[in-house]
This record gives sequence, C-alpha cells and structure tokens, in this order.
Amino acid sequence: MNVDDQLTPALTLRGVSKRYGPVVACDAVDLAVRPGEIHGLLGENGAGKSTLMKILLGLVHRDTGTILRGTEPIEIDSPQVAADLGLGMVHQHFSLIEPLTVWENVILGDTGRVDRAAACAQVEQVAQRYGLPIDPLARVDRLSAGERQRVELIKCLRRDPSVLILDEPTSVLTQAESAELFTVLRRVVQAENRAVILISHKLAEIMAATDRVTVLRRGAVAFHGTTADTTAQELARQMVGRDVSLRAEGAALGLLPVEPQSPAGAPPSTDPAGAAPAADPTTPAALRLRGVTLRVGGLPVLDDLHLDVAPGEIVGLYGVEGNGQATLGELLSGLLVPDEGAVEVGGRPVELTRPGTLHEAGLGIVPEDRHHSGVVLDMSVAENLVMKSLAGVCTRGVLSRRRMHRIARRQMAEFNIVAPSPDTPLRSLSGGNQQRVVLARELSAGPKALVAAQPTHGLDVGAIEDMYVRLRQAAAEGVAVLLISTELEEVMALADRIAVISSGRIVGVLPTAEATAERLGMLVGGVAH
Amino acid sequence: MSAADNIATILSSGARLTVPLAFAACGEYVAQRAGTLNISVEAMMLGAAFGSIAVASATGSATIGLAAGALVGVAVAFVHGNLSHRVQINTFVVGLVLNALVLGLTSYLITVSTFTGHQVWQVSVPVLRDIPIVGPMLFVQRWPVYLLLAVIPLTWWLVQRSRWGLELRAVGENPQAADVSGIHVNRRRRQALLWCGLLAGLGGAYLAVGEVGSFNQNMTAGRGYLVIAAVIFGAWRLGRTLVGCVVFGLADAMRLALPALGVTMNSQLLIAAPYLLALLAMLVFATAHREPRALAQPFQRGTT
Repeated sequence: MNVDDQLTPALTLRGVSKRYGPVVACDAVDLAVRPGEIHGLLGENGAGKSTLMKILLGLVHRDTGTILRGTEPIEIDSPQVAADLGLGMVHQHFSLIEPLTVWENVILGDTGRVDRAAACAQVEQVAQRYGLPIDPLARVDRLSAGERQRVELIKCLRRDPSVLILDEPTSVLTQAESAELFTVLRRVVQAENRAVILISHKLAEIMAATDRVTVLRRGAVAFHGTTADTTAQELARQMVGRDVSLRAEGAALGLLPVEPQSPAGAPPSTDPAGAAPAADPTTPAALRLRGVTLRVGGLPVLDDLHLDVAPGEIVGLYGVEGNGQATLGELLSGLLVPDEGAVEVGGRPVELTRPGTLHEAGLGIVPEDRHHSGVVLDMSVAENLVMKSLAGVCTRGVLSRRRMHRIARRQMAEFNIVAPSPDTPLRSLSGGNQQRVVLARELSAGPKALVAAQPTHGLDVGAIEDMYVRLRQAAAEGVAVLLISTELEEVMALADRIAVISSGRIVGVLPTAEATAERLGMLVGGVAH
Repeated sequence: MSAADNIATILSSGARLTVPLAFAACGEYVAQRAGTLNISVEAMMLGAAFGSIAVASATGSATIGLAAGALVGVAVAFVHGNLSHRVQINTFVVGLVLNALVLGLTSYLITVSTFTGHQVWQVSVPVLRDIPIVGPMLFVQRWPVYLLLAVIPLTWWLVQRSRWGLELRAVGENPQAADVSGIHVNRRRRQALLWCGLLAGLGGAYLAVGEVGSFNQNMTAGRGYLVIAAVIFGAWRLGRTLVGCVVFGLADAMRLALPALGVTMNSQLLIAAPYLLALLAMLVFATAHREPRALAQPFQRGTT
C-alpha cells in the first residue's frame, strides 16, 4: 500500500500515543488523510478511536507524536483551536443544545453580534448547497435523529473545514437517512476536495462508503489500505486480531466454545416448592410481559408489548438500537413504571411502583449500561456483590465484614472475577470483570428469570465467551433468560427463540432454527409481519 | 384610614419590598441559566447592605454607598466564581460558607462601628403621584427603583438576544456541547456570577441605603433564599420570576401592615409567612417545569 505519498495529506498523525495510567489508549498511531477522500477508521469499542478523535478535537492532549496539517506541525489545545485549524467534527451525541433553535445551535461558538436573519439565511444556504433541508427556526428537541444530524453537518460545514470527522454517524439513523448522509459526504469530498474521516465499527458501512481504511486494534494501527483492495472478512480479522470474531463469524463457523444446551431437558424452575404457586398451569412462563405500554411525551416507546420466557429458555430480543430496548431494560430494572400492562415473574404480577420488587420477585438484571444502573464504581467488589442482598450480611442493621468477604470470595472464585482483593474498588477492574461482578450478584440471588441487556457490549473476546457460557449455564439450571441484543450473531448463537422488536412492539417470534438473517432482517425492517 | 388608603399603603410598601428581591432575582436568574445554583446570593445582599451603609457613612453620599454595595456583591461573586468554577469546589459548600461568613462578619463589624444613617433621594412625580391607589406605588419611589426598571429589560436582552446570553444558556443546558463548540464554559459561568453579584449587591444596598437608611444585624433575613425560590417559582423565565418577587414583596408588606390594620397575630409566625408562601408556590409551580439541564453540575473538560 504505497499510495500514501502521491498527494500531500490534509492531515497527518505520526506516532501519536496517549496513556491513561497503565492503559494505552493510543499506541504510536500513524494516520494520513488526503484531501478528496473518505478515510474509514475502523475498530471495536475501546480500540482507541474515540481517544484519537478527542486528541484531534483538542479535548485530550497526546503524550507523544506529531500532528501535521499539510506540512506544518500543529498543536491542538482546545476545541476552538481545532475549529480554527479547519478540523470539523460531527458529533453524534453531545454537541447540540436541545432547547435552542437550529440557527442558535449553528452559530454557537462564533464571535460578534447575533444576527438572527443572517444566521437563518446562512443555514438555509448551506442546507441548500448540500441537500440538507432543515427549518432554521425549529427547536432542536423537536427534531428527529436524522434531522439533528443534518444540523450537526450544517454547523460543521458552515465553518468550511478542510477535514471533516464523523464519529459513528449512522448509529441512530435509519437506512434511508444513512444513505442520504453518504451521498452528502461524497459531494463534500469530490466537489470541494475536503477530507473526511469516518469513524465506525460497522464493516458494511466502511466497505460501502470509504476510499481508504485504517483499522485500530488495542490502540495501535493493525491495518491500512485501499478499501477496494480489501474484503470485509479481512477487515473483520484485523479488527479483532487473530481470534475469529464471535459476533461476526463464530456462530456461522461453529466455533463457539460450548455446545448449546437443549432447553427440552432443562430442569424446572429452582424456586422452593410452594413459594410460587403456579397461577395457571397452561402458562409456565417465568417471565411474562403483558401488554406493557410506556409513552414518552405522548408517543409510545413500548407499545402493547407481549412476551413470555419459560424456565430454562433463552429468548433473544433482537432489533435495531433505539426501538425500545433501552426503555424495556430500564423498566425491567425497576427504573421506569409502565403506563399500561403488567410484568409477571414466576406467574405473579409484580408491583412496579415500589423499588426492589422485581428483585424480590426473582428477576435478575444485567443492565445495558452497568455504570449507570449496574454497579457503584467507587465501592468495593465485595460491597457491589452483596448490595442487593444485605439481609444476608447484616445483623440488626450492622454489617458483618467477615460474612461479606466470605460471600465475595466465594462468588469471585465461582465467576472468575479477577481482582486483588474483595476490597478493591470496582472502578479499577476491567470492563469484563465488572460485568462478571454484576452477573455473579444477579445469579447468586437464585433468580427465576434473568434479563441480560447488551451483556457483551464493550467486552473483549475472552469476556464475551465467558458471558455466553454463563448465560447458557443459567438457562440449563432452569433460569428463564431474556437476552436483549442488537447483535444478530449473538442472538442466533444463544437464543432458543428470537423475538423481534420494532418501534416498541414485538413484530414476530421465531424459533432460532427457523430464523435466517434474511427473515429477521425483514421483520426488523417491518417488511414481513 | 379608608380602605383605599390601606390598599395604597400596602401596595406601595409591597413595591418597595419587592425592589431588593427583583434586583437580586435578575442576577440569580442569569446565574441559574448559566448552570450555577448560586446560594451565596444571600451573602451578596447582606454584604452589600453593610458595605453601602459603611461607605455612605464615610463619604456622606448614599449614592456612593449604593455603588459600593454593588461592588461588595461583585467581590462575593468573584470569590464564589473562582472557588466553584475554577478550583471546582462544590458550589453549595462555597455558597453556605460564604453566607455564614458574611453573616458573622457583618454582625461583628456592626457592633464595633457606628454609622450615620443615609438614604438615597426620593423621586416623586407631580400629578401622577395623585392617581388613586397605584399612584404612590409607581410614582413616589427612591431613584434606584427606576434603575431597576432599566435593569429588567437589559437582563432579558442580555440573556435572550446577545451572543453572551446565547452562550450562557448553552453552558447551562449542555456544557460539554458548549465546550466542543468553542465556548469557555467556566469563564461564562464566572461572568454570570459576577452579573449576579452586581445586581444582588444593588438589591442588598437598596435595602440599607434605600429602604431603611441604616444597617442592622442579619438585615436581609433570608431574602436571598426567597430570590432563589422566585427563580425556581418562575420556571427560569424572567417575567415569571419577577411575578414571584412581587408576590413575596406583597406578602412582606401584608406582614408589616396587618398590626396597623388591627389584626393581631404572632409576629414570629408573620415573619415566617413569605417563606411558607415560597414553599407552597414551589410545590404548585415548580414541579411541572424544566430546569436548565446542567443546573448545579460542575464542568471539567474531558469528562463527558
């Protein structure tokens, strides 16, 4: 790949490194982006993409290395400097102020007098040039995700950047909106000779939209070359290293570490006899959602959702991100109360307006964002492990550290939690070990049902395999497992049945044996019902 | 006295009691829109009240005293802003400490000094002051009241129409986004606090050299907290905030007028009345409204 030297790159990174304590986020990264190209930056979560982006934006300072704009070395001290140097960033999540209007957002960061008419005219002019229709007077909080992204693009392009950086731009877009975005990007590079860096972890998108591609793995450049000369398989291999990706190919190649257990022979629910009298012998579901509806601002996020999970069964809830999965996860964590409908655990409806009732009823949860609602990072491993069952380590309100440590040691051994001691603050553990702490706590409580929401997000391959083994084991022991996932391969590899969620509704339930990527894709897209 | 006279008296005294609240509320409104739940507004007002009398007494000019009071407010704001938006000490802790410090300091200083009384001059508009009921309220007031009438639209314009105000609102809603847009978040918040200090200082100084003509211990008596309540009551909108100030001012005026009207009530209970009203008002009005999203959240670059 000796094509790098044909043109002076718009932006060059040489040996850029950044460490956070013992963690190397970026390891001597070289990157050259030429004017007139879309350069893909591919990598898994935690591969160093976002740190690199923050360095280019002046939010984080590199430890070593040089950054050149054209041939001239630059220092990016702050976002303002980055903007002045012609580095424009389209943020997905945090650069629009929702209660402000479109034009107010667009001129934010300028200097001089505020001129509403001129600002609106400029917005419309940029909008027209790039085919990004938007009402400059609209308030941003009333806009859809696709429209918000147009505002981001307009804000960025109005400043006439020489390098445009897009961070996971399609993560909240529909297929059509994504296509529209790539059309605009093509125009930006071809007609105006700007450089575009497209940060993504989606292979298909990188293959379709980029001219050249750089793959990051564990902070270092694993591969770079011309997109047309490589294949998706090659990029996938480079992205995850020597191990074949469980998510992308493992299931198809039959390389999973453990044979799936047959749910047919699974033992019945392990709850003590008499504790949960079966309300109705024809409904053996350990977890049942009945007509769960939740509206936000009048719009249903969960819309009359029905789902049963039987003891010993893994049901995969599959769908594109943003179709109500996060809301369902919060609801099953007890953080939200539905407007209508009921949640039944072990055949009994659960009172959802009091905290802790779902746990008492025997529902375990591995939440999607463990830092948000799964663990307390600044408390110790032991404290996090006993947090939900303090009765076992308390005598009349006094904590027994001895009992707490004994329980913690046992669970640490059982779930392979690697930590120097039970007193280690959870913050200092790796993501995989933090997730094991959550899983250990939830499974040790002997749940009837377990909800695992995106349980492998951001984990390394080893931790993912471990998570898969544990979930299968839990099901084999009679726990009803609801796996909420946006990863098709994960659902296909683990679930006995797959329920597809779209716009807050279950649009179809298939046995995994009958589910093909094509059928699921059609359900997800709302084609078949 | 006739009923009309009684009403005119209460309205007029209510207007006077509203003025210090309204000055400070214009400041607190700006601070909160920028994301600082500034509780040291009490310290700003009390320190300014003391400073204004001290300087008025030394110079013989109530107007110079008023200006000095405003500067005391700015000084308190400067300390608060740098401690909480530069050194990043929790803003509530800073506010509480400043309130206690200024209360103790002024209470001590007033015992060891003797000041002569001073009051800014009164403006009395001929003819118009004779309008029944509202005439005395609107047209017989001390001159800072008319300054307030200029400060209110100026504050609104600054927040809603100037670039500074746009950036201020952005900072109060989403500091990370403001930061990546190139706005110095903590600098804007310090500037908002300085504006708050200036106006709270004017409010506190008005209480001393405008309303009463002297300083006594703990003269503000929690008016700063009422101002915070007014901003919340007003759902972070200036007009409604000022309505809240008027309500609290009238409640205060009623308290003072009731004994004269022959109503006997426990005076301590009466003193508590505006605060009780504030609590009820917040209960009714505040829950439905959206506060600036980053209110009372510190900002440090790199944490998203």
